[in-house]
Amino acid sequence: MHHFRFSQRTVAAVLGVLAVAYTVQAYRIPEFAAVQVPVQPGTLPRGLGLLLIVLCLALFLQKPAPKTTDTSETTDTAPAATTERTEHAATTATTTATTATTATTATTATTGATTATPPTLGRLADARLELAVLLGAIVLYVLLFEPLGFIPATALFVTGTAWYLGFGRHWVNALVGVGVAAGLYLGMSEGLDVALPTGVLPF
Amino acid sequence: MDALNQLFHGFGVALSPQNLAFVFLGVLMGTIIGMLPGLGPISAISLMIPVAFTMDPTSAIIMLAGVYYGAIFGGSTSSILLNAPGVAGTVATSFDGYPLARKGQAGKALSVAAIASFVGGTVGVVGLMLVAPSLSALTVSFGPAEYFALMVLGLTAVVTLSGNNLTKGLISGTVGVMIALVGIDSQTSTLRFTFGRHELYEGVEFLIVALGVFALAEVFVMLLRRGQGGGDGTITSLRLSRRELKEISGPTGRGSVLGFFTGVLPGAGATVASFLSYSFEKRLAKDGKTFGKGNIKGVAAPESANNGAAVGSFVPLLTLGVPGSGTTAVLLGALLVLGVQPGPLLLDEQPDMFWGVVASMYIGNIVLLILNLPLIPLFAKVLRTPQALLLPLVVVFCVVGVYGHSFSTFDLWLLIGFGVLGFLMRANGFPAAPLILGLILGGLMEKSMRQALLISSGDLTTFVTKPISATLLALAALSLLAPLYGAWRRTRRRQGLSEDDGRGQDERRKATAGGTRERKNG
Repeated sequence: MHHFRFSQRTVAAVLGVLAVAYTVQAYRIPEFAAVQVPVQPGTLPRGLGLLLIVLCLALFLQKPAPKTTDTSETTDTAPAATTERTEHAATTATTTATTATTATTATTATTGATTATPPTLGRLADARLELAVLLGAIVLYVLLFEPLGFIPATALFVTGTAWYLGFGRHWVNALVGVGVAAGLYLGMSEGLDVALPTGVLPF
Repeated sequence: MDALNQLFHGFGVALSPQNLAFVFLGVLMGTIIGMLPGLGPISAISLMIPVAFTMDPTSAIIMLAGVYYGAIFGGSTSSILLNAPGVAGTVATSFDGYPLARKGQAGKALSVAAIASFVGGTVGVVGLMLVAPSLSALTVSFGPAEYFALMVLGLTAVVTLSGNNLTKGLISGTVGVMIALVGIDSQTSTLRFTFGRHELYEGVEFLIVALGVFALAEVFVMLLRRGQGGGDGTITSLRLSRRELKEISGPTGRGSVLGFFTGVLPGAGATVASFLSYSFEKRLAKDGKTFGKGNIKGVAAPESANNGAAVGSFVPLLTLGVPGSGTTAVLLGALLVLGVQPGPLLLDEQPDMFWGVVASMYIGNIVLLILNLPLIPLFAKVLRTPQALLLPLVVVFCVVGVYGHSFSTFDLWLLIGFGVLGFLMRANGFPAAPLILGLILGGLMEKSMRQALLISSGDLTTFVTKPISATLLALAALSLLAPLYGAWRRTRRRQGLSEDDGRGQDERRKATAGGTRERKNG
């Protein structure tokens, strides 16, 4: 998480620039003149844009909290945050150590490895790259979603991602991938009348 | 007696084989999804919405309500077994549940949670039945000005209660309203922020935002945690002694009532209720010091409160049409898509639906107890789903949910975008609940603001001269100022020397809050 935590000022500045752009756009919304209306279509966006600029200024000027909080739950409160934080610090320390050692053995991960050792996701030491890989996989999935069809794309995505993340039982993996894809497809198209893309498959 | 008759009628609706099946399905899916670490009630409901779209509205809301309290209920399991609360509302449960599990009393902790949840849910339903009709009778007199004020209050309450930085919460809420305004303006048909994409003419579907900001962002967070929090899910005896039952009866009863009323208040959801109840019992109990080290009272109190609150939050949702929490906001969005307008008229126009939902909650709570007690060992196996497999599956469910709704890959790109946004928000401490609430309330807020100003022919004072509206707006302002005042007093007490520095900061923050109020008034 800490890789993606920027300083409060940076966040405020970036948001502020976006807010200014939004406000400029809001002022370019044409006025509605056909009938007399008390609230123009641009009124609320303009107000919101100005409000956001003010809020960004406030955030920029605010002293950052003494301890950076890891709000891993959407509605976190103080006690939860502190326990999370200490624990998180500990786990990140251990994971970086374990990933370094498991990185070499991960390629030969067997069935036993997944059940015996605590699960460690991914193969790279740097979590940022790991995230980029997952994002890339999702983008690829979306790109192939319509041309390839739902079942092949989904089966490929699930099996490939799980394999990459270190799921060792390859047969189970393949079965789950194909099974989930086919099951969802049948459930959606037959049960709920939602047509998912068929793609290369004839049905 | 009238209410009782209506309730019997409601049982008639809820006990139809079809609706019974949907209660069961909803509760079951909610429990399973809620148990998965990281997937809370919001994700659970979002994932079930595509299924609900195909149903008739009454069945759909019965099922989605089942998903909601099922998820709250199921969240306790992963809290206790893994110290990985699947739901924010069960964070407090893990304080004592996890130590109990480590002492080898996981079974006992789970039973306490199941019983406390059942009591909390049932007390909540009774409360809902008693409070909702009178509240809705009161609110029939609400005009657009009052509604606008009420929505402002709902939004500010969620902002102030979620997260510990008020400015960040306000930014989230503002951005949420901004997203709501994308698309064709309903009154003047002016295009706003569509950037020439015809896919955006209809606005941004809240389902995309909810799935992206919550479920997909969660996937990224899980990956960054490198799958920490997976466990083996060993269960011991579930049996409770009579003494222990007696011990938890007090905290459970108080927690249920406290939870219900906290849930009714806009903005205070299950999370707040569980923390309130936990700290209350800790202060009240003679053995308060053992809280946090494995005290069953510390499991019973938050569990009964969060279930009571989950049901309680249906009161403002069904009677006012204003969601009290992020989760009920998602529910409201689903209802609107189904063509149901919750609000004071719901009780009069669609009593079938209202009483059917109430009756289904009784049934749902019993189903929950039946499911949880004997099936605890079985469900624990879900927790053993390797995260390497769980991650791509969650992504697939998100993608199917969005695509099945709109059949457009453009929306899938939006989904990814909101996933990244949600992740960055979490990493930088921006709460996501105000965003989703702002998105859902934004459109309604603008509409009622326009109606109110049309009636008053553009006179802005209409919001402050009407007594109810003025009171609600004052409450909203107060809810924003109260935490600021508290923070100010704390900083003053802490730093005696650099006093003027703290005051300067406070004044700036106060100025922002004041600005907010004015803007919302105007």
